[in-house]
Amino acid sequence: MFWENIKLAIEAMRTSKLRTALSLLGIIIGVGAVVAILNLGASATENITGSLAQGGSDIISVYPNPNERTQSIFNIQFGLTLRDSNEGIDYVIPVMNSHGNFKSKDATSSSNYLGVESTYFSTQKLLYSSGSGFTAQENIDANQVVILGASLATKLFPEESPVGKNITLLTGDQGKMTTFEVIGVLKDKEQSYTMNYNDSAFIPFNTFTRKIYKITSVSTYIIKLKPGYDTVNVTNQLNKFLDSIVGSDGYNTFSSAMIANIASQVTGTLSLFLAAIAGISLLVGGIGIMNIMLVSVAERTKEIGIRKALGASPSVIRGQFLVEAITLTLVGGIIGIVFGSGLSYAVTNIAGWTLKLSYTSFAIAVGFSMFVGIFFGWYPAKTASKLDPIEALNYE
Amino acid sequence: MAKSIIYLDNVKRYYLVGDYFVKALDGVSLNINEGEFTSIMGPSGSGKSTMMNLIGCLDTATSGIIKIDGESTNGMNETELAYIRNKKVGFIFQQFNLLGKQSALKNVETPLLYGGISPKLRKEMAMEALDVVGLADRMKHRPNELSGGQKQRVAIARAIVSNPSILLADEPTGALDTKTGHQIMELFETLNAQGRTVIFVTHDLSLGNRCRRQIHLRDGKILGAI
Repeated sequence: MFWENIKLAIEAMRTSKLRTALSLLGIIIGVGAVVAILNLGASATENITGSLAQGGSDIISVYPNPNERTQSIFNIQFGLTLRDSNEGIDYVIPVMNSHGNFKSKDATSSSNYLGVESTYFSTQKLLYSSGSGFTAQENIDANQVVILGASLATKLFPEESPVGKNITLLTGDQGKMTTFEVIGVLKDKEQSYTMNYNDSAFIPFNTFTRKIYKITSVSTYIIKLKPGYDTVNVTNQLNKFLDSIVGSDGYNTFSSAMIANIASQVTGTLSLFLAAIAGISLLVGGIGIMNIMLVSVAERTKEIGIRKALGASPSVIRGQFLVEAITLTLVGGIIGIVFGSGLSYAVTNIAGWTLKLSYTSFAIAVGFSMFVGIFFGWYPAKTASKLDPIEALNYE
Repeated sequence: MAKSIIYLDNVKRYYLVGDYFVKALDGVSLNINEGEFTSIMGPSGSGKSTMMNLIGCLDTATSGIIKIDGESTNGMNETELAYIRNKKVGFIFQQFNLLGKQSALKNVETPLLYGGISPKLRKEMAMEALDVVGLADRMKHRPNELSGGQKQRVAIARAIVSNPSILLADEPTGALDTKTGHQIMELFETLNAQGRTVIFVTHDLSLGNRCRRQIHLRDGKILGAI
């Protein structure tokens, strides 16, 4: 009986193709929009969290924002204080940051440079395309060695390998010159939210503080967590700790995990909100289905009369028209899924994201279109089942 | 003793039209035994169709007792009436009332569908019924590809396919020419000879007179019977 009803439904759809197509349009657009929005939301979240995770999900950066009172707090020793403040912290790397002019034999570049400890590179997952990093001893000795980011290396040495060559760094207004030996070049690394590694140079921390700027205030603390600790939790605890020392305006913390967390919450909420709006078009589509089903029942009054005379009970007639409405909305839903997925594919292609199809959205779309079929098909089906057999038979 | 298949006792069917009742059937009593061939005759508005609808369980009486195959239909709900229509009654209408989009075979299968018969058996039984009415070679045709007489044969095949006790034919020859009408009548006679109870409503005296038992209706009452 069920299959017979589906056959009848398909037959009814085929006899009035244009009308069926038009009445399905609402469902197709509604389902398509819901599917597209949920898929795009999922893809956007995936891409944002993906690119954030590149910055290291187990790393928290603390940026001091010193004033006269707190200036002296942010020194190298404060890194140890930070480390001891939370059991989730593995180690803390203080980083100095400045800007200067680099000069090779062929070219110059105005770039960012950092004073870092030897563990910085592995912590930030930086790899070498040639040469290597400096050792802990070289840092202690304040050797004049430098590691170049990928694009800075090409800029300064367009034609030859930089490793082993010397470059000069000009700093300050007086044009103080310091010569460095290039010992390593980094592989190309995607720009993170806070740092462009490719156009930067890296020198030992002690070289920075003793030979370039004789200062002790640190510009960034890179905090590496122990495995198994939640970055968001530790960040929150760290914020409380720093609040108590320098006040909430005395520093900023940044962790990819925190941003990823917020970003996925925002895109999640946004896509749910948009999907809800798209859901309204499903409702409108449902009204279209109800309309077409009422027309169908009216047109087929005679057929209903004949079927009743042949022994179809009210529930059988109701089932026939309900199945027809559900088939109609399901077909619309499936076309809508294809349409919505195509739309998501096009948009992600243009935006340069990788498409992540949300199968949940397909399930929601199918479920919702069936629900629309049942909800809006019920009344027309009930009308059909309640027709008086004699009146229906005599209907012309 | 012959078994009573249709029993009507003082059956009335009134319709409320505006402020007054139309007495479509006004106290009809009747007994028809299994295997009888009965014609019902009378002018338009005499209550023929109303009586057929009541016997066929398409309608319910205002008062009186109706028993089909010994079972009282009084107080039955729509589903129970549908069951009686499906199992006990085969309808044949003046306007054939075939399902226009379905093949002859599918049309004949329809009562079996509602009777819960399996698809395979449905097809076999429908082909057999079409064979009985001489249309085995037309089973793939749709109603609009068939002549009037052929359509009525399909309708008859549909009426007999589930082997009901009663065939109710409401002016089955009304839309056919005389010659075809007589052929259809012959088919009914054959079906009756095979033991089926036939009730045959007609205007046509020459057809009505071929029945052993004749009932004449006027103004909702039985005028006379042979």
